Amino acid sequence: MDPIAQLLAVATLLPLVGGIVCYVIRNSVIRTLTVVVTAIALIGASLLLLQNGPFEYTPPPVAGIDWGTIIMVADFALLFVFLGLGLYLKNVLVTLLALAQIGLVGYFELVVAPHVEVKPALFVDELSIIMALIISIVGSLICVYALQYMPDHEEHKHLERSRQPRFFFWLVMFLGAMNALVFANNLLWLYFFWEVTTLCSFMLIRHDLTEESIANATRALWMNSLGGVAFAAGIPLLYMNAHTLSLKALIEGGARPETILLPLALFVFAGATKSAQMPFQSWLLGAMVAPTPVSALLHSSTMVKAGVYLVVRLAPAYVGTSLSTFVALAGAFTFLLTAVLAISQSNAKRVLAYSTISNLGLIIACAGINTPLAISAAIMLIIFHAISKGLLFLCTGTIEHKIWSRDIEDMEGLIGKLPITATITVVGIVTMLLPPFAVLISKWAAIEASVNMPWITLFFILGSAATVVFWVKWIGKLLGAPAGLNGGAERLEALYLAPLALLVGMAVLLSAFVAPLVDAVIARAVMPYYQVSGIAAAGSDLSTGVGFIVIWPLFLVLLLVILPVYLFVRVKAEEIRPAYMCGENISDLHTVEFRSLQDKAEPVVTSSYYFEKALGEKSLNAWANPVAIALLVLLVAGVMVR
Amino acid sequence: MSNPMDVLVVVAAIVLSPFVGGLLFGIDRKLTARLQGRYGPPIVQPFYDFLKLWGKSRIVANQSQMMYVYGYLLFTITALCLLALRQDLLIVIFVLAFGGVSLVMGAFAVKSPYANFGAQREILQMVAYEPILMLAAVAIWKQTGTFMVSDIFKLNQPLLLSLPLVFVALLIILTIKMRKSPFDIAASAHAHQEIVRGVYTEYSGPYLALIELTHWYELVLVLGIIGLFWATSIWAAAAIALVAFLLEIVVDNIAARMTWSWMIKFVWGTGISLSVVNIAALYLVK
Repeated sequence: MDPIAQLLAVATLLPLVGGIVCYVIRNSVIRTLTVVVTAIALIGASLLLLQNGPFEYTPPPVAGIDWGTIIMVADFALLFVFLGLGLYLKNVLVTLLALAQIGLVGYFELVVAPHVEVKPALFVDELSIIMALIISIVGSLICVYALQYMPDHEEHKHLERSRQPRFFFWLVMFLGAMNALVFANNLLWLYFFWEVTTLCSFMLIRHDLTEESIANATRALWMNSLGGVAFAAGIPLLYMNAHTLSLKALIEGGARPETILLPLALFVFAGATKSAQMPFQSWLLGAMVAPTPVSALLHSSTMVKAGVYLVVRLAPAYVGTSLSTFVALAGAFTFLLTAVLAISQSNAKRVLAYSTISNLGLIIACAGINTPLAISAAIMLIIFHAISKGLLFLCTGTIEHKIWSRDIEDMEGLIGKLPITATITVVGIVTMLLPPFAVLISKWAAIEASVNMPWITLFFILGSAATVVFWVKWIGKLLGAPAGLNGGAERLEALYLAPLALLVGMAVLLSAFVAPLVDAVIARAVMPYYQVSGIAAAGSDLSTGVGFIVIWPLFLVLLLVILPVYLFVRVKAEEIRPAYMCGENISDLHTVEFRSLQDKAEPVVTSSYYFEKALGEKSLNAWANPVAIALLVLLVAGVMVR
Repeated sequence: MSNPMDVLVVVAAIVLSPFVGGLLFGIDRKLTARLQGRYGPPIVQPFYDFLKLWGKSRIVANQSQMMYVYGYLLFTITALCLLALRQDLLIVIFVLAFGGVSLVMGAFAVKSPYANFGAQREILQMVAYEPILMLAAVAIWKQTGTFMVSDIFKLNQPLLLSLPLVFVALLIILTIKMRKSPFDIAASAHAHQEIVRGVYTEYSGPYLALIELTHWYELVLVLGIIGLFWATSIWAAAAIALVAFLLEIVVDNIAARMTWSWMIKFVWGTGISLSVVNIAALYLVK
């Protein structure tokens, strides 16, 4: 086998093999070894892919059977699994949507174009490599983290027989399916792996087998199947109009018939369902019933990122069309609304989920703006959101296993009780929110790219303001410990600490070196399709053409803020005073109580504003979901009416 | 920063701004006193206050509380330097926001009822003024074609003439940033408020002095952004900034403190509408 084929096999098939080993051998040592070895191999393979650069490849037939046939058979098998699941769950929607997909794929394979050959079958450019890096590095770290999390989780649930073999089978295999998805050039292959990720997430969401998790997994299944139907309908439509199923042919220059806009709109619709865009946000919100590593994986490096990958990937094919404008509008709407909805949530995982949906909306809006700068911003967001969001889910999972709550109000003063985890969480939030960290830099690039579509800019600006609220409230809770010298020691297990430390290190260091990263990778992912790079590195700084940011001086200021406090400031115990309570404090320190009526001791309770009435799901969803549905209908219908 | 002129600009911004900001607050106190029929302190009183606070012994709630004050100070100074260096206006706004978030984090950094209230309200103030500032940057982009402050100075005509409504919206922001009535809801100049001193409650002595110092820098920064609206001459810029400042003092003295919900409604309703109408007009005219 040539080295390229070996790398591809490690990236796509090894997770499947690792998953099977985890499933078959019910031994925790073997499982740990398998997951760690798979993780290291995946990370290594993705880095080698980066070093190797873009390429095309068509795998040779195995024992005389070509891969197209293998995937077609597997695809039908998978769709029949969905059909079986629909019948087993007695869910009409799942059943009908599976039947529709079987019909559409069958129609294509038997009637429209039996046995289409697409060459190359795999097409790996810089964007695919970026995706593979995210999937393999962030995804693998999450799998390693799960090795510590799942035993804790099962202990808390008092399970008699461990369900970890099954859990790790789906979790590890997921990474292989995702890698294959971003390498596929043949849209039929992409569709197959698209459906595999739907199956993986269904299995992982329902893992705990509670009533709630089964219901939420079923919802995720039908919503994603709806996207699957759109995808499966797009394939024959595309082939009839463009006579190709090659992604590469679709996005590389040359005249494109207007008739391909409808299949493109259907693919974008499929991307919107997978990325849980409004009105489909409920499946991702429901997915949080799953063990936290699943949430971390779904939100950062897999599943939802497949949706935005497809939308961004196809962007060059619909540049300059009305479809592009609708995509921008739909994404921007979700960005703003879900950022506002996040304000009303006190459940940490729901806040994170809304923030994910919001950021995905921003990425999709950037794809719709569809200028080189906007696409650069979208790719930067995909990278940096994956790192910071994966990190924040793992932080939440760790906190949950220490305090057995995921309510932000219960996290008050964690900086005193769990200094390591809380500090990493605060840093994680800061990397999502503030300059000079790359998520904010991407947002800046997105705003500067949007100004030719002023309505989109307005959505971006208002959404950014809303974003500040829920993040800063959360930071505030973590910091709010009673007055006193906090020196609480925290024992953090190595398998928790290592992924957290690596992810937080990546979030900070890659932000500091975002300019070289743009030069080496992101610009090269944009240039082939847009001729120019949009965002350009100037030394360690970045330029958008209409704006400029200095990065290292800002990091220097940040160091000047933090370091002196740790190096030089030595606070003595006698310099500490309790919080001000109008002189009615009960004792001097540590107890946060005050003298109330009749000298009764009253504990101080501080809590955040949530604006449940004005900004809660009840009041906003009532009109926001219909608007979102209308936007998606417009998106698909808009290209038909002309 | 390779240019020696740039170094000079940065040094001037860092060294001179506190004197300008402190004096302006001194003038504010004098004028306010006169409007209220009092004699008032000398206009250098803010500097006396600063030195007195600076000399006090350190009292803190924990060992890292001061970090957030350094963050507030240093990021505000950085934002001012970026403005003085005529950099990207959006980045100036974002860096200024880091300063603001740092102050909020400092207020949250100890479980204190009054500071917690102040912090919650300060977040709402940020939510109110951030969009207006960013919309102003977009409006300026519409006139110059870039987000760089340097390009504003290349215009032949003052921005105020084409962006009058955006300018009015910015005046509202100036009130919030100066912590003046009707928007002195997260912390006011005086401690006799329903939430004591809000975000400042848990700071005293030298750290409170640094907060005051930051406030002076912040005032110069916001007035600097206002001055951009008549950037064809440095004197005209200084004049409109001064007029805006005096106007704030009058507003402060004739307005009562309002609630945060009123603030959000007013700023998002009136302020954003003004900006949007102004920007829309620019698109329609061209």
